Amino acid sequence: MKMRNLLAPIALVGALVLAGCSGGGTSSAPSDSASTQAVKGGTVYVLNSGYSHLDPAQGYDTGVMDFYRLIYRTLTTQGTGDQANEILPDLATDLGTPNDDATVWTFHLKDDIFFEDGTPITSEDVRFGVERSFDPDIAVGSPYARTLLADVDGYEGVYRDGHLKSIETPDDKTIIFHLSRSFPDFAHAVSQPVYTPFPADAGVTTTSLDEKPIASGPYRVAEYTPGTTLKLARNDYWKASSDGIRPALPDAFEWNMTLDAATMDERLIASQGDDANAIGSSIQAASIARVQTPEIKSRTLSGTMGCSTFLALNTTKEPFDDEKARQAVAWAVDKSSVQNGTGGTLLADVATTILPPQMDGRQDFDVYPSTDHAGDPEKAKALLTEAGLPDGFTMTLDLASGTVSQAQGAAIQQSLEKAGITVKLNSIDSSSYWESVGNAAKENEAVLGAWCSDWGNGETFLPPLFEGSQINDVGNYNWSQLNDKSINEKMTEIRSMTDIEAAGKAWSDIDKSLVTMAAAVPLVYQKVVLVTGSNIAGAYSDPAFSGQIDLVAVGLKNADE
Amino acid sequence: MATALNEVTVESGSVGALFTDSAPTPGRRVWRELRTSPTALLSAAFIIFILLLAVFAPLVAQLTGWGPNEFDPDAINPDLGGLPVGPGGGIGSDHWFGVEPGNGRDIFTRIAYGARVSLTIAFAATLATTVLGVLAGMLAGFYGGWVDQVVSRVMDFLMAFPTLIFMIAILSALPADNRLVLLVIVLSVFGWTYTARIVRGQTMGLRTSEFVEAARASGGRGLGIILREILPNLRGTIIVLVTLSVPAYIGTEAGLSFLGVGVVPPTPSWGKMIAQAVPWYASDPMYFIFPGVFLFLTVLSFTVLGDRLGKILDAGDAA
Amino acid sequence: MLWYILRRLGGAVLVLFLISLFTYAIFFLLSPDPAYQICGKTCSPERIAQIHTTLGLDQPFWVQYRDFMVGIFGGRTFGTGANAVACDVPCLGFSFQTNQQVTEMVASRFPVSATLAVGAAVLWLLFGVVGGLIAALKEGRFWDRAVMVSALAGISVPNYFIALLLQYVIIVQLQWLPFPQQVDFGDDPLRWFQTYILPWSVLAFAYAAMYSRIVRTNVIDTLGQNFMRTARAKGLHPSTIISRHALRPALTPVVTLFGMDFAGLLGGALITETVFGLNGIGKLTADSITKNDQPVIMAVTLLAAVLVVVANIIVDLAYTGLDPRVRVKAS
Repeated sequence: MKMRNLLAPIALVGALVLAGCSGGGTSSAPSDSASTQAVKGGTVYVLNSGYSHLDPAQGYDTGVMDFYRLIYRTLTTQGTGDQANEILPDLATDLGTPNDDATVWTFHLKDDIFFEDGTPITSEDVRFGVERSFDPDIAVGSPYARTLLADVDGYEGVYRDGHLKSIETPDDKTIIFHLSRSFPDFAHAVSQPVYTPFPADAGVTTTSLDEKPIASGPYRVAEYTPGTTLKLARNDYWKASSDGIRPALPDAFEWNMTLDAATMDERLIASQGDDANAIGSSIQAASIARVQTPEIKSRTLSGTMGCSTFLALNTTKEPFDDEKARQAVAWAVDKSSVQNGTGGTLLADVATTILPPQMDGRQDFDVYPSTDHAGDPEKAKALLTEAGLPDGFTMTLDLASGTVSQAQGAAIQQSLEKAGITVKLNSIDSSSYWESVGNAAKENEAVLGAWCSDWGNGETFLPPLFEGSQINDVGNYNWSQLNDKSINEKMTEIRSMTDIEAAGKAWSDIDKSLVTMAAAVPLVYQKVVLVTGSNIAGAYSDPAFSGQIDLVAVGLKNADE
Repeated sequence: MATALNEVTVESGSVGALFTDSAPTPGRRVWRELRTSPTALLSAAFIIFILLLAVFAPLVAQLTGWGPNEFDPDAINPDLGGLPVGPGGGIGSDHWFGVEPGNGRDIFTRIAYGARVSLTIAFAATLATTVLGVLAGMLAGFYGGWVDQVVSRVMDFLMAFPTLIFMIAILSALPADNRLVLLVIVLSVFGWTYTARIVRGQTMGLRTSEFVEAARASGGRGLGIILREILPNLRGTIIVLVTLSVPAYIGTEAGLSFLGVGVVPPTPSWGKMIAQAVPWYASDPMYFIFPGVFLFLTVLSFTVLGDRLGKILDAGDAA
Repeated sequence: MLWYILRRLGGAVLVLFLISLFTYAIFFLLSPDPAYQICGKTCSPERIAQIHTTLGLDQPFWVQYRDFMVGIFGGRTFGTGANAVACDVPCLGFSFQTNQQVTEMVASRFPVSATLAVGAAVLWLLFGVVGGLIAALKEGRFWDRAVMVSALAGISVPNYFIALLLQYVIIVQLQWLPFPQQVDFGDDPLRWFQTYILPWSVLAFAYAAMYSRIVRTNVIDTLGQNFMRTARAKGLHPSTIISRHALRPALTPVVTLFGMDFAGLLGGALITETVFGLNGIGKLTADSITKNDQPVIMAVTLLAAVLVVVANIIVDLAYTGLDPRVRVKAS
């Protein structure tokens, strides 16, 4: 992957969940809407369920990060199209100049960069954007500032504690970051939304940006009612000459956030009226059968999310403290029925490894082979007898209350039943999901979990899920609550490896150990199927944003419709 | 909601001028009249069919060869998002009513098990509300005074509640265990007022009738009179109320399940099946049509039966 | 008369107060801690404590309830100092999900629910009353049977089923109508009508069924009464007989029912709005319940209760106009 050039010693940090990661999936098959050239003008309509925050210090899921690129610019950002996985300079003139040990980074800002009110973007503005993100009220976004910058212990943001010493601004066009450790990949880190600049003297507070954002990108927010509608108009002060990444062809964007999933699918499929200029999120399983006609197929995109869905088995709860019991579950699970529940072959691939296919150095293996991946209840029963549980056992599975999770949970329940294991489903709705599964004490015997890769590096994937030191009382992602000495040691070892190829393979070896000891059971890798309106051009499934359509590249075929 | 029992409906709709103060209709005549009405017979037959389906659901599973939660991966097409193979949502000799998309569960078996849930909850709720409502209504109607005031104010309070919202909110906030019992409790708490209103009105009318006076004259006291004189005279009313409550609760439970606060999966419930069928309505309409039709016919049968009973008892009283 | 009105109002206020107390208590006891909801995945104990203080969740129940009720009438400020947020009258709090003022959320969705309620009401009153009347006048004959069978179907079929069926047949198969789309009447009257006609029909079907049965029974009853015979003997024209003498008494239960039904619909038709994707109060209710957005749930519940109570009072007053016997009792 092109990412490799930027990675010297691997020292990436970042605990990112399905909602908070930025890619690593594979690109889409070519389709009409991707290959046709978009024209200038027109309004693109977006049908989705809305965004968490317009304030980039707080928004941290791939959907909102995709959106931020329309109204915000950062020092660097991902490319589009073929360069979707590359980091390119955006506000900065290059990818930054590190010192010898990559602990101090200097960036110079381009000319002709302005906010939506015409004021030029200066280095003080970039600094302000970072400093405000430390305020405890809003420190819920990307962690790439607080985990990398120096002298941030106890720092509570510019509103309460003034300026951060580790960011210097010798002049309006230069900004220098002092890091807490060597981080050769810092160019990638500054593409994160927390590094978005805001005017330092315009009265921006911790709450004002969610209502009235201040744009630095090609568009600005013209109207916003959370949960209902969002309208973008052009930022007249944005200069295309200073931005080589965003074509910014449409004149406006308009969101409709009030629709439910089935209605969104229907409208995209029908493509009537303004919907011909619309795009949306992945369609549901129920709509797959409706997109089989050639006309609709020509405007359907597919891609992978770069994520992995798995069954995490809590090793601190009986009987999962016994490896044999865990392995019995691994044998019994019918992965093809989980795939069916997720939406069939177009929306999921069966997974036999925890690391998804696009990860660096990943090898494919299947430790628990069965016909058609349907599971092997006999082997499971045999193992259970060996473990002293000849009559099976009962367990509770924590899972989200969404349709897909429920279908996956039902599939797991059914297949484990064949081996004599009774599964009780504990459905948790989104409002208390993190409170329940992230609480190490409250967690039940198993969690139906998912994880996405940040970059193609195993370091962003396996440690948060399986490293002993990353078990927290709250905000825990190590759902297996695994604290295995040899695994922990191996992980530390890999972190100091300099050879990326070897490191990639080493992560994959750990993957195999984890699957063999059944700390988690890989289930599926989710995919996306996107239907665009018949007048949409330039749309593709962006691997940097979990396979969603790259909003900055999209436009209309014909701007008069 | 049109499916919830409404006092005014019962009062002046289907049961008309039932509530007079004459002697009760002999049961035998009722039976005879029922048997001559073809619609009543059809409804009764369907109800019996559904009852049998519910009671013998495991036998149905044996008949179809599929358990209610058993997946059939061969009956669905994984390349089409899990769409059932074959016409009408997978109708064929293997699956008489087709299968559910995404997992291939047999719909006929699930409808049989769903009947269990619908009928159990409806009967239990009807029992509870009838007992509660009749008691409250009789006490309020007979004693009057402060007893009546208290009961009536409580009824007013409960009836001013936006019941659907409340039921959903309470049920969604509670844990998923014992969902069946919780549903019955919640339905009963909000449902007894209708029965109570009717019975109260009836009791107030009966209170002044001759046989009550006679009972009092021969030394009967409050509770005795209520049980021996008033209650038997309410027989007709109660029967009709019961027959009309059942479909109302079937409908309400299905509605709650449709909105996601009914029984917990994988337990089948007709309302839940329809809810899950919503995204599939364009590509696999039979998925919602089967449970929908069963729901419709069951509610219809009970309502027709209740209507007929009401008319018969009405005609008998007027004679 | 005045005394009667005042008594009714007083009773209504009491009922509303009790409902608000009861609702608040239920949600106070049953709702999970909203702090986790607000701060999402990365929740430090300090942040949680801070959210509790800002929202007043660390106060005892009575204080919270008092603040809530006072806020409705006098506005409220959440938090202190630089982070203080003002909430305008009537303050129903801030949504845990979207951080919007709940009052705004409800007010912006009210027009959709109102459109739904009014349109459906017109249809069901028309079909219900006229249908019931026809059935009564043609008692025992074909039209009576026809109306009654449809009515039976109407009260037996679950409305979400009919909604799906109509959507499938009319929108997907026959393509007589396009998919419902939220438009203002001013922008595109045709599309507006096309969007609402199906939900109106679905709602009206169920209610018309109920109403036609009631009207039919009552009119039949009335037609058999003595005063009707007198009217006929007097030689009054049949239409006068029907409109002035038969229909009037038949309408009293309809008025009661209509008041409550219409008010209930104004508070949101949960199922219909959800199935047709209309952004009204019913959909807001359904969404906020699944997301456990307590302030919104409280607000819609209170709104629904207020509407029903007000409707009841209006209906009672209308009674004194319709039925002289009540007027006498009232004064």
